[in-house]
Amino acid sequence: MSGDSMRVNGTPARGHDPGARLLDVLRDDLGLRGVKEGCGIGECGSCTVLLDGEPVCSCLVFAGQAEGRDVVTAEGLAPAGELGRLQQEFVDHQALQCGYCIPGVVVSAAAHLAGADHVDESSVREALSGNLCRCTGYSKLVAAVLATADDGDQA
Amino acid sequence: MTRETTQGTSRAPAHTGVVGRSLPADDAAAIVAGDLEYVTDRRVDGMLHGAVHRSAHPHARIVSVDTARAASEPGVVAVLTAGDVPCNQLGTDSENGAVLAGDVVRQVGEAIALVAAADPETARRAADLIEVGYEPLPVVDGPDSPAPVTVHPRGNVAGTLTFESGDVATALSSSDLVVDVDTTTSAQEHVAIETPGGMAEWDLGKITVWCGSQNPGLHRKLVAHALRLNLDDVRLVSNPVGGAFGSRNDDPAPVYLALLAWHTTRPVHLHLSRRETIVAGPKRHPYRTRVRLGFDRAGTLRAIDSRAVADTGPYVTAGRNVLKTSAELSSGPYAAPNARFDGTVAYSNNANAGAFRGFGAPQVAFALETAVSEAAVELGLDPVQIRRANLTRPGDAHSLYGHTVSRSLRASQTLDAAAAHPWWRDRDAWAAGSAGPWRRGTGIAMAIKGVGMGSGKGDTARARLIVSATGTVNIWAGPNHTGQAIGTAYRQIAADTLGIDHDRIRVHVGDSELVPESGATAASRSMYAGGSAVHQVCGRLRAVLDEPGVDTGASFDDVAAHLVASGRAEYEAEFVLPDVDDIGRIPPEALADYAPHAVYGCSAQVVRLEVNTLTGEIRLHGVVCAVDAGVAVNPGATVGQAEGGVAQGVGFALFEEYRLDAGVPVTTSLENYLIPTAMDVPPIETVLVTGHENTGPFGAKGMSEVVVVPTAPAIAAAVGSATGFWPRHLPMTPERVRAGLSAMSGEGTSERSGRRSAAERARTRARPENMSAEPAEGAS
Ligand code: FES
Ligand code: FES
Repeated sequence: MSGDSMRVNGTPARGHDPGARLLDVLRDDLGLRGVKEGCGIGECGSCTVLLDGEPVCSCLVFAGQAEGRDVVTAEGLAPAGELGRLQQEFVDHQALQCGYCIPGVVVSAAAHLAGADHVDESSVREALSGNLCRCTGYSKLVAAVLATADDGDQA
Repeated sequence: MTRETTQGTSRAPAHTGVVGRSLPADDAAAIVAGDLEYVTDRRVDGMLHGAVHRSAHPHARIVSVDTARAASEPGVVAVLTAGDVPCNQLGTDSENGAVLAGDVVRQVGEAIALVAAADPETARRAADLIEVGYEPLPVVDGPDSPAPVTVHPRGNVAGTLTFESGDVATALSSSDLVVDVDTTTSAQEHVAIETPGGMAEWDLGKITVWCGSQNPGLHRKLVAHALRLNLDDVRLVSNPVGGAFGSRNDDPAPVYLALLAWHTTRPVHLHLSRRETIVAGPKRHPYRTRVRLGFDRAGTLRAIDSRAVADTGPYVTAGRNVLKTSAELSSGPYAAPNARFDGTVAYSNNANAGAFRGFGAPQVAFALETAVSEAAVELGLDPVQIRRANLTRPGDAHSLYGHTVSRSLRASQTLDAAAAHPWWRDRDAWAAGSAGPWRRGTGIAMAIKGVGMGSGKGDTARARLIVSATGTVNIWAGPNHTGQAIGTAYRQIAADTLGIDHDRIRVHVGDSELVPESGATAASRSMYAGGSAVHQVCGRLRAVLDEPGVDTGASFDDVAAHLVASGRAEYEAEFVLPDVDDIGRIPPEALADYAPHAVYGCSAQVVRLEVNTLTGEIRLHGVVCAVDAGVAVNPGATVGQAEGGVAQGVGFALFEEYRLDAGVPVTTSLENYLIPTAMDVPPIETVLVTGHENTGPFGAKGMSEVVVVPTAPAIAAAVGSATGFWPRHLPMTPERVRAGLSAMSGEGTSERSGRRSAAERARTRARPENMSAEPAEGAS
């Protein structure tokens, strides 16, 4: 059984088991280990990826559900070796500690910046409420996202 | 030119200092790009996958373990049980438990067997196929359990600590006011977002384990002991790791990995699930703490009497040291002529409790600070005034032990810094804005926490430095990094000590083969101890650079080549943390049994909130966190530590409670064990209080634990000021607050709000049958 094509970070990917978790296909078949597993039941958000631009928990999505769709992970937010504006703001704001939650956080934040009509502190906190971070207390994460929004040049 | 290298000073010609600058963490760019490979991300060709079979019973004799079906599953390479462990004990103390339980299990989730298989699914399936026959034993479900059995043959008391200075009973009986506060605090789960695991390889008689560890020295010993290996044949690579907070201090995951790789002689990968991490992993010790404070009419503290009982679960691990910290911090930052601590750490079949950021401080501080806040109300004094008037001054004797408290302590400045914030100054205006069922309040609380393992422990950190011929300075140092960017701080200290650009310096942490033994990433010691060792090793190189004819003004590349050619490119140094100057009332031969600290960090916090008097829901509006960290080497990282600590304090105060029912875990996932989300943590304003610790690197000292401590009592004080109800039990769930308010007023209804937050989820997802098991707040 071999899955139909999906696009992952702009590149077609096929040959995966459609019954496998998208998380496992991304991590194990495609080597995208920025997609982290923190719970496996949709509670922590460290596995967050964009599916056609919408943030989803890849631990809850079967690979088959991503058929014909666009998947973007933290690795795909900027060309290899470069950081996007949002990622750079996370670096500059020291908006990370252990960093394990951060790939999922930047993916959720990118979706929010791309999709929201209006971005403010409370909208950012709500957008990040599905991403648990145990290290930072969230303040710097929120500040990094707001700074990106201020720049206008998003993600 | 002076070539001074003593601590606290630096000379940096031509080089602009980087100590005091907020440099991003070394790994930051890799992290945001998703490129950083954590220990559990590690993969090699041909590796096997591990899984653990765990106890289903809180207390039972094991009568049989049948591994036949598991072993015959296609793809299974090894199934290991107690008999397969060369020395089946986690370390040298039998009360720390077996690697794999063979005769008795003492908690749900205890490891009984390990499986290695070709893929993770097969390993997990095979682990499930192992059949264990149990003969259940009565369950000891807490320190007061009437069960007719003990958890260990020697009884259920794992340790006690009592100490008294002065005459507490007489002082209390002659006090004008005695405040008596009886509190409970709950078991808290670390919830590091990366669950434990990693990889191990057995090669040429040597085992290498890649697995998160805050204490590589201890973990190497645990592995060597279990496998009967020479310590030198055990290598531990302990980062990058996705969070720790105490959970990776002595957890057995590195031992499981090593055992599987040693038996199979193949690389083995293991990554524990969230459920098994929550069920089997260590917790913050739940405590019952009763504090009695005696005051005279003017608000002068006459006596502190503190009694604490800690539930350590089935194995003691860090329990006795946690109690030791509670004893030292039972008098908090306060001076009292009479003080007593009477503490017990008890075994049970509840969760195994161990190290957790704050380490025995948050539990006793909640009781003490609540008592101080209530005394202020009773005496009609301002909560800041009553604290300020009773603070231990730098250089004074500690209330309980009488040892000298470090001169760098800035308790009074820290308290003033918190109280200067508008959220405290404008508290009356805030309260006046209360509307409907939402009552507004403001609270303040403070705490101190010792830096390092304490006096008499020989606590030491080391560093090694090699200058390469190409002009790079490589430094191997510990303690290790578990998220606090300690390597970046070491680099800043090295750059300013050497007076060279920080880009030339590479810091390596976490590999036991290369980093000299430097002790644990614990006890707020990494910056202070590791930073001091780095400062000293760089001081040695600096002294050589300062010799005539060495640093000729040529580029550092040339100087480096010269050092290498002349055999002067390698240096080592160690920093032994200073003991207290005066040990006070502690008998000299027992110094390590009490392990008082010479150096303390301090935090004072203000909380502004609203309480819904109908539902009991608490909405936080802001936390001010003033913190005395000496000199902040990397202020941004220090603020990050403060913010993260406050968030964990918020969780401890409002949501987090690992619950069991007769030893059977109830809160086994992140659906019912709730930690704060971005919507639950309010804006945090951190104030770094200026200070200077003369024995620390560039004046720095530790602060990452103390910031967890004042949050809960400050929230409780704010609830008290808003409603007149003073919470005694953590967490302050809506149910408990509502019950407490109803007990005061005889009313109580319920109402819902639409927030997507842990507070909201707590109401909608908690199971009703477990609610009834909670202590009634009004009963206290
Ligand atoms: S791993 Fe998918 S939400 Fe936690
Ligand atoms: S940075 Fe560690 S979990 Fe977010």
